[in-house]
Amino acid sequence: MPLETEARAELRALVADFAPNDGQLMAALHRVQHRYGYISREALEVVAEQLEMFPAHVYGAASFYDEFRLEPPASTTIRWCSGPACRLENGNGIRDAMLAVLGFDDLGERTDDGRIEMVNGQCNGTCEQAPLVWVERPFEHERRVVGKLTAAEAIRITREIRDGESIDGGHETVF
Amino acid sequence: MAMITLNGKSIEVDEGLPLVEVIKDQGITITNLCYIDGLEPYAGCRTCIVEIEEARPTEIQLACTSKTADGMVIRTETEAVKHTRQGVMSMILANHPDRCLTCHRRVHCMPGDICLRDDVVTHRCLTCSKNYRCELQTSCEIVDMGEFSEPWVGESRSYYETPPPEPDRGNPYLEFDPQMCIICTRCVRACDDLRHTGALTLSGKGHSTMIAFGTGGQIHESDCDFCGACIDVCPTATLMEKPNKWRGLAEDWTNSACNGCSVGCTLSYGTANDQPVIVRPDRINPVSRDQICVRGRFGYTDVPERERLIRSLIRNGDRLLPADNFDQALDIAATSLATVKESAGADAIAVLGSPLATTEEAYVLGRLAREAIGTEHIDFSHGPLHRAVTEAFVSGLGTDQLPANLTDIEKARTIVVIGGDIEESHQVVSLRVKDAVKKHGAKLILISNRWSELVPFSEQWLQPFPGQEAATAQALADGLSSSTTHIPDTAVENTADAIATLRLAIANAESNIPVILAPTAGHGAVRAGGEAIAAVNLSIAIHSSEAAHNLYYLPTDANVIGLTDAGIVPGSTENDFPNIIEKAKNGTIKALVLHNDNPLLNTPGTPDIESALANLEVLIVIDSLKSTATQHATVVLAELPFHAKDGTLTSADRRIIRQRPAGAPQGDEREGIAILTALARALGTPINYNSAADVMRDISSSVVGYVPYDELTRSPGKIRALVESESTTAQQLPAPTVSTIPPVSDGLAIITGRSLFTSWAAASIHSDEADKLHREESALVHPQDAESVGIRNGDQAILASMANAGSELRIRIRLDDGISPGSIYIPHYYDGGALMRLMPLTSSAEPTTLMLQAMQPA
Repeated sequence: MPLETEARAELRALVADFAPNDGQLMAALHRVQHRYGYISREALEVVAEQLEMFPAHVYGAASFYDEFRLEPPASTTIRWCSGPACRLENGNGIRDAMLAVLGFDDLGERTDDGRIEMVNGQCNGTCEQAPLVWVERPFEHERRVVGKLTAAEAIRITREIRDGESIDGGHETVF
Repeated sequence: MAMITLNGKSIEVDEGLPLVEVIKDQGITITNLCYIDGLEPYAGCRTCIVEIEEARPTEIQLACTSKTADGMVIRTETEAVKHTRQGVMSMILANHPDRCLTCHRRVHCMPGDICLRDDVVTHRCLTCSKNYRCELQTSCEIVDMGEFSEPWVGESRSYYETPPPEPDRGNPYLEFDPQMCIICTRCVRACDDLRHTGALTLSGKGHSTMIAFGTGGQIHESDCDFCGACIDVCPTATLMEKPNKWRGLAEDWTNSACNGCSVGCTLSYGTANDQPVIVRPDRINPVSRDQICVRGRFGYTDVPERERLIRSLIRNGDRLLPADNFDQALDIAATSLATVKESAGADAIAVLGSPLATTEEAYVLGRLAREAIGTEHIDFSHGPLHRAVTEAFVSGLGTDQLPANLTDIEKARTIVVIGGDIEESHQVVSLRVKDAVKKHGAKLILISNRWSELVPFSEQWLQPFPGQEAATAQALADGLSSSTTHIPDTAVENTADAIATLRLAIANAESNIPVILAPTAGHGAVRAGGEAIAAVNLSIAIHSSEAAHNLYYLPTDANVIGLTDAGIVPGSTENDFPNIIEKAKNGTIKALVLHNDNPLLNTPGTPDIESALANLEVLIVIDSLKSTATQHATVVLAELPFHAKDGTLTSADRRIIRQRPAGAPQGDEREGIAILTALARALGTPINYNSAADVMRDISSSVVGYVPYDELTRSPGKIRALVESESTTAQQLPAPTVSTIPPVSDGLAIITGRSLFTSWAAASIHSDEADKLHREESALVHPQDAESVGIRNGDQAILASMANAGSELRIRIRLDDGISPGSIYIPHYYDGGALMRLMPLTSSAEPTTLMLQAMQPA
């Protein structure tokens, strides 16, 4: 029997109001990710227990969605918008410039110190800002939209993030 | 009934059957890579395409989702069908190494040949562990993929554009290599629907979809029990047995039995070069059908080849040395037995049999003891426990031959399980309980002193303190018998709810309410007897005169029932196992013949048993292992291991299961029957049997219910050693003796049990690899108790015996809140039965206790 630890008890309390067979798996996963920034293995098990499912099936569902994180996020995540409007405005060039500054080969990578990662994002309709990236600090529940980028700007912002400076501008969203 | 026309032939079949099963039953080969017989169709692979006349929207239909209907006209071999199947198959092969599968010259390739058609020589069938026994390969041959256009001709790419996913080789049982996977999801559905374990899932999406275990980690971190149901259904080399993975191409198959527990699952051994290399379930036993557990599938690999005893041994001073030949060893054995018999009389010789041996060997051993030696000191180490249980059956139900049939369990709507963790001790029965819960919504009442995997399946879990199991079951019986609903304050939690569940079942006139009793061998005879009395009373309270038909007894070891039926029963209680040990200790018994048994592993009281064995003048051991008991032996006669034996087992529901030899003898190993008859002849009594079949002829003429082999072969798995007496009685028994709950200051009460992964044979030779997963090598302690002595999770601690002064055990502690505070769980077979050293030889209703001490830093 899995041992009841403080971490488990906290997770259990977090998802205590979800009931089995009621289509609430997604809601439970969202709540866990919102609270911890990601969904740990332990959380998958607790959610499974609460909803009377097998842990493997909860994992199967969570892994289907790119936006569910199964590992702790980096303290800063650059989410690059892959939508068509951004691409028309040289989004690919922005992406390549940012990747080069961070020394990444592809999206989904993380710096050696685990501080910054750059991931693929989906268009959310703020196309007037194209080309744009979202700079997220998941642990602070903070998200900035950094739009209308040029390659030079993208490089400057990425360097600032890399060097640990706070960046100017952008619309701040608390989520 | 429906008349259908299949390839021009009219046949009559039931209406509404999955068409694919009908086609296969008719002996027609059809590709079906995702279908599992008996489960809902998944329709993922689309290879079971057939042509059904006038089907809409098209005549090309899937045979797995189509149901038989009257007047259906089906064709399986038309050009259109074949071409469509080839097209479908080519899409499956897009994600599987396909060069050999689409090559028309593949049959000319020998292992190790270089491919003359293509310079990419990796990822070929000939370098795959499943070559020549692969369903995908066969399917490609059926649809003639060699004649379909080869998509890779002229391509300049090397095999993969992306690196293949990492295989998981982190455990000793199962290898998972996802690069071969065609995402048929058979494994996922087998784990969910056939095993109710749910350790597998589909993860990711689109092109990155993969099979994953648990929460995406390694297999051994998931809920996987390594039963291998996924291996059986995998059409490719994705999921394979780790042992003999590359040697598992069987030349021959032998249907046989498992002696891992008393369910008596039937196995099919694949042999190559006269040794078993692979095990598949054999559907002969209607209880186990297509399912077995990790012990059945991998049991034959438990003892490494070099540990197998293939030569007889003779004592020379302090050492056991190989004998020149079998006859020399036999001669010494017979002479030394004769000497003891002459000097001290036949009563100074005792004989111990084993529930891990066949019924035939037990019968010959009984004759050897009674006729050739002339002693009544005959027993086996679990004998007292088994008799304590059967005595309760005889006095309450008038018979110890319970007619209850294990195949009824999965049909039940309400089930009671009393005893240990049957998920670990009798996994296939546990599976049938889960079947009942999952398929019919059965309500499970579980009386068990620790959490088990069955708990999440249960309606009510009654968790008694160790020693209170019988009282808890008795409380249910009392609650049902009395008209009032008053529950005593001492009753464990959920008792009232459990009684209500049972009352409802009785009110609904359910006639099939199984009461399953699985006593724990390590807890001793008195507690097992008490649990049996309570189980009898409960079954009578539920079923009155039909009690015997609904009470199931699961002995821990495989052939306890067959062994007892064959006459391994002491002359009187004066001659039983504890008395044999006492008499050997005080020198009254001077010689012991030990067949297959290891009392040092099986029963509590190791210090007593050790001094008894050391005190013997003569100890003759007949075994296939150099067990811990053999170190006291005068002579060890090398016997075949169980999987190479011929004979029968009698399972928990008295099914006579045929055991056929898989693999040839090695070295100087002999059949058990040959050794025992030779020993009898050397002692001057001609007991002559040429084969197990001969012995069975004798058994069938003297023991009611047993039949000769030709009759067993005619209806395999069906015949039960049972005299259906009309007059099973139903006599409520006086309530079992209730133990007191010891205060925690008196130490922690021991819970033990047969754990799933630890092998009996490997524990018997005290191997470090008895538990290959190293998962069952710690004691479980409740966090409260650990805190009070300052022990953290994972610490080493000392367990000091209260019963046997000076005996202690060092063990790693794992905190677990699945046991009650004040108790401690230690696996029975841990460290070669080290726990048995801490427990007393004589059993009692009180649980044995021990002190938990933290290790002091040096």
